[in-house]
Amino acid sequence: MSFLEVFQYTRQESLVHNLDPRSKMMLAFTLAAISLLFLNIVPLMIILMAMIPLLASAKSLRRWARSMKGMSYLLLFIIIFNTLLSTVSNPFSHSIALAIRLLALMTSFSIFFLTVHPDQLAQALIQMRVRFEFAFAMSMAMRYVPTLGQEAYAIMDAQKARGVELDKGNVLKRIRNIVPIIVPLIIVSIRRALSVAESMESRGFGASENRTYMELLKFRKRDWAVLFASLLLLVTSIYVRLFVPLPAWMLLQLPF
Amino acid sequence: MILVEDIHFSYDGIYTALQGVSLQIEKGERVAIMGTNGAGKTTLIKHMNGLLRPQHGRVIVDGTDAKSLSIAELSRTVGLVWQNPDHQLFLDSVRKEIEFGLKNLGFSPEEANEQCTQTLKNLGLEGLAERSPFALSGGERKRVALATVLATEPRVLALDEPTIGQDAHQKERLASMLLDLNERERTVIVVTHDVEFVIENFPRTIAMADGRIVADGSTSSVLSNEDVLERCSLTPPQLTVAARALHKVFPQVPERLALLSELENAVSEILGVVP
Repeated sequence: MSFLEVFQYTRQESLVHNLDPRSKMMLAFTLAAISLLFLNIVPLMIILMAMIPLLASAKSLRRWARSMKGMSYLLLFIIIFNTLLSTVSNPFSHSIALAIRLLALMTSFSIFFLTVHPDQLAQALIQMRVRFEFAFAMSMAMRYVPTLGQEAYAIMDAQKARGVELDKGNVLKRIRNIVPIIVPLIIVSIRRALSVAESMESRGFGASENRTYMELLKFRKRDWAVLFASLLLLVTSIYVRLFVPLPAWMLLQLPF
Repeated sequence: MILVEDIHFSYDGIYTALQGVSLQIEKGERVAIMGTNGAGKTTLIKHMNGLLRPQHGRVIVDGTDAKSLSIAELSRTVGLVWQNPDHQLFLDSVRKEIEFGLKNLGFSPEEANEQCTQTLKNLGLEGLAERSPFALSGGERKRVALATVLATEPRVLALDEPTIGQDAHQKERLASMLLDLNERERTVIVVTHDVEFVIENFPRTIAMADGRIVADGSTSSVLSNEDVLERCSLTPPQLTVAARALHKVFPQVPERLALLSELENAVSEILGVVP
């Protein structure tokens, strides 16, 4: 579960944190789109490496590294299964590329979620003309990620005390052991959702049509700069993907 | 017997949840652990079955250093009953739920079945055996969670806030069940804010604040100590309040009282009637 940490907002003072969420949204979207445009090891590595300075300037490199370590099992799983089951000519190369793509996708979104407070996200969506109810639901979902994490740990503790050995046994047993964790987690979440809904309604959620907002987001020069840089990057990448043949070293594949 | 020696624990390396806790709980004791929220009570009992390992100091359970035992092994000796039953219920019948833990801890299917039936009977839950735990009320789920642990017959039973959400009748029932277990040489440890519940049923109280033990002794002495009550943000027991009020008017009534019978005696003395 530790890899979820990378999608969790951390309060910090940094250049990336101070950017407008809308420009960061564009940035994350661009980075994600580029990772989806290419499926070769070298270009994907370049994208991934390019994101590391961004994480560093958001002061979250260590957190990211820790999460990626938590992901390593899943990545290994993806690589093994894809290599065994894939029908492409050099499956190992292909599955490595897929794994890097997943990392790149996660990282691009983590830059956004690590640095945007749920309230800011809601405000950004509202100012992008999303209806308040939807924006609020979105920010609530983000707000409950850490709660869900804590709950997951509490459940694991409870099951461990009943003799469930989460880190022992073969793969099959480990997969079976997820059931005693997942079921209570879902039930607890549903129960909480119902009670949150009730408490919101009892406090008059949705009572007035026209809401006003205390804090409005404002685009500054650097936000425009990030926005246009992202846009430029996106357009260039699409152009390259469609019309420019990549040089041979970029298409490098492993021999098997 | 549980021996805790100077244990320290921090969840995140910044805030210290336990800073040097030492205590000894003998076989067959009934002990209440009380204190403010965040005092480290739950953290402490999680050390007793290995869910948390001390970063400094050691925990000894029945003469063996807990370090060398797995959580599952320790859980056979120390059964933990959680505050929130929803964190552990996941099967579609109460019976399966109880048998799940038993089988995990090494009981054979026949033994598990037998234990399950017996426990359900003891807790008056026979009627719920085939029901889905999710369809039960909060209080019933709490009792099912208790049953899952009781069925394994741990020598030490540690309960986290067992009285929350239980009506007076259920509380009494819980108390008599705990006393009954205790009579069969089981150690009972309870983490709670429920002062009255402790006074009536637990001879020893350990009061905690800020990851430390601030008082450890007989319940009547700990809970009549104003300093301790203040530091652990506990409301003084009604009995103590009554005794103090009486003491102001009738100096012959002792200021510190722990048991209802003592108060009765004092009042009858004032009134001049023979109890």
